[in-house]
Amino acid sequence: MAAAATCGSVAASTGSAVATASKNNVTSFQRRGPRASGTNDSGPRLVSIAGTRPSVRNGQLLVSTGLPALDQLLGGGLAVGTVLLIEEDKYNIYSPLLFKYFLAEGIVNGHTLLVASAKEDPANILQELPAPLLDDKCKKEFDEDVYNHKTPESNIKMKIAWRYQLLPKMEIGPVSSSRFGHYYDASKRMPQELIEASNWHGFFLPEKISSTLKVEPCSLTPGYTKLLQFIQNIIYEEGFDGSNPQKKQRNILRIGIQNLGSPLWGDDICCAENGGNSHSLTKFLYVLRGLLRTSLSACIITMPTHLIQNKAIIARVTTLSDIVVGLESFIGSERETNPLYKDYHGLIHIRQIPRLNNLICDESDVKDLAFKLKRKLFTIECITKLRSYDLRSQIYFLSRHLQRKFSIKKNPYFKEPHTLKKIY
Amino acid sequence: MTPSEGARAGTGRELEMLDSLLALGGLVLLRDSVEWEGRSLLKALVKKSALCGEQVHILGCEVSEEEFREGFDSDINNRLVYHDFFRDPLNWSKTEEAFPGGPLGALRAMCKRTDPVPVTIALDSLSWLLLRLPCTTLCQALHAVSHQDSCPGDSSSVGKVSVLGLLHEELHGPGPVGALSSLAQTEVTLGGTMGQALAHILCRRPRQRPTDQTQWFSILPDFSLDLQEGPSVESQPYSDPHIPPVDPTTHLTFNLHLSKKEREARDSLILPFQFSSEKQQALLQPRPGQATSHIFYEPDAYDDLDQEDPDDDLDI
Repeated sequence: MAAAATCGSVAASTGSAVATASKNNVTSFQRRGPRASGTNDSGPRLVSIAGTRPSVRNGQLLVSTGLPALDQLLGGGLAVGTVLLIEEDKYNIYSPLLFKYFLAEGIVNGHTLLVASAKEDPANILQELPAPLLDDKCKKEFDEDVYNHKTPESNIKMKIAWRYQLLPKMEIGPVSSSRFGHYYDASKRMPQELIEASNWHGFFLPEKISSTLKVEPCSLTPGYTKLLQFIQNIIYEEGFDGSNPQKKQRNILRIGIQNLGSPLWGDDICCAENGGNSHSLTKFLYVLRGLLRTSLSACIITMPTHLIQNKAIIARVTTLSDIVVGLESFIGSERETNPLYKDYHGLIHIRQIPRLNNLICDESDVKDLAFKLKRKLFTIECITKLRSYDLRSQIYFLSRHLQRKFSIKKNPYFKEPHTLKKIY
Repeated sequence: MTPSEGARAGTGRELEMLDSLLALGGLVLLRDSVEWEGRSLLKALVKKSALCGEQVHILGCEVSEEEFREGFDSDINNRLVYHDFFRDPLNWSKTEEAFPGGPLGALRAMCKRTDPVPVTIALDSLSWLLLRLPCTTLCQALHAVSHQDSCPGDSSSVGKVSVLGLLHEELHGPGPVGALSSLAQTEVTLGGTMGQALAHILCRRPRQRPTDQTQWFSILPDFSLDLQEGPSVESQPYSDPHIPPVDPTTHLTFNLHLSKKEREARDSLILPFQFSSEKQQALLQPRPGQATSHIFYEPDAYDDLDQEDPDDDLDI
């Protein structure tokens, strides 16, 4: 499995470092030398894949979902080899955004993309990706955007926690292309040259399938079969599963499947409660998980679960996916007029987080999250302003927001106070 | 004055409603029920698009051709292209004029046209098709027909397609109706009270918020629309104005509001740590690209700056 390979190589490299140190008869705590090349952004002597980093909790290789706020809620990012399932909102306005952020992150990091859809041509989907923000001048635009929406109370200078005035309200910063998560401007399109420079494969169902095939019961619908064959071909030919030795550097395959389970894929779980092909979708997810676990790929699927008639299928689909995020928009519901929700466009529910190589999963304490789509940004915020500040959430708050930890002791070894750690 | 210009010079509000229904293109779903029938609205839309010069195809499955053409004047009747599937739905008489493959074959054949003229296809009715064809096949065919013009590259070669589908909501469960409404660009649900017909119009533009509108109307014998002011307002918000908005700070066990005196007392409180304004200004200056960190240490009253090592007293 991809994660085991990474962990094994990290262990091997640290083992060799300790061995050399003991030979030189000095303490094993050595200052790290200057980085060998600019592309290494994780691990001491590990050639890493661009746009990935190991998780700080269990060493799993993570890729960014395109939204740094969502990455944080999922425990650092999306693990390579797993599926992110997004339950679409009722009018399908916000879930295509998350889908596009995922694909845009792949293009910015140079990953290979595989876009599958039964509704829109993948080339059109790629034309509508948001533009990445890579400059310092864009940071100024963001700051103006943030300050324009400040409430009057937040303009009061903080008297006790005055150090926090330095910190930005949201985690925005000028980003270079070697960083993990990027920010995107939803009002602009990705430049054409970036899309053309990227390597992408499209699967548009109406082109790939003839509509007169007969379907046997209890097997996959033809659309799903073709899609699985297509994914398997790409993985095998481009060597994401290690079968063909890749001469170039290893890369990640980002798979995006839009509107899975809708009638346009030929699946009738949205139309009938006990249709003939009710196992088609669950079989598809099972086979897809097998393909993903044995290759360096990550997948995002959007599914209109509000249309699925049989609730047992939704439960099975949730179990077969790794991370499940549900979007609930306020459009057309009675919550639209509730003053508690007036600043937001909908709620975001993290329904499941996987336990990968772990006994526990990294669930965040915050349960009531809401999102809003401003003109340029998609932000996720915790909605309860009346939060209880117990000890556990204080530690969470401090560890996420403090950038430096320092300590002064009355001890001769630490006579001069100096910084011990920098935490970003 | 050509008939199409005459149609456009009609009352502005009448044109607004029908125009808004036909302007988006794509699938327009007319959901009716036993009490509020939708065929007359369908025929009004067909008449409007015929007068605008579009090519109109009718797939008649539920009622006979004579009954459908009733009420239209002769020039409109000459413009309609009628495909009759009512008289011989299973094609037992094996005539040449019927489409091979039934109504589904007719729909699929319309996917392959290359005319620049805008086309309106009226399905009478979509319920009939939904009861005889698998829902997924019908959804795929409808999507293929209504989205021919969505390629940005060659949008000039193929004209806009509108598919008007009449759906009787009571015949189907929530599944097929939900699936079709998620495909539809515009959805008109007919209702009303006391003899007055009401249309809820939900427009889903791609990537934008759906807009919701209600309109009281009645249809005149010549299938033109008469818009009326009904008892309720035009754009109806979902909230009931009689329920006051919820204030989340009302029933708390602690006090969130400060009186003036309390606020003054809070401001005049002396903070426990030493807080010089120079230090604050120095720290709040944004310094880009700062590599090292500075620790500002101001000794407290209780601080002991003894340089002796307390470990020296230990006897090891």
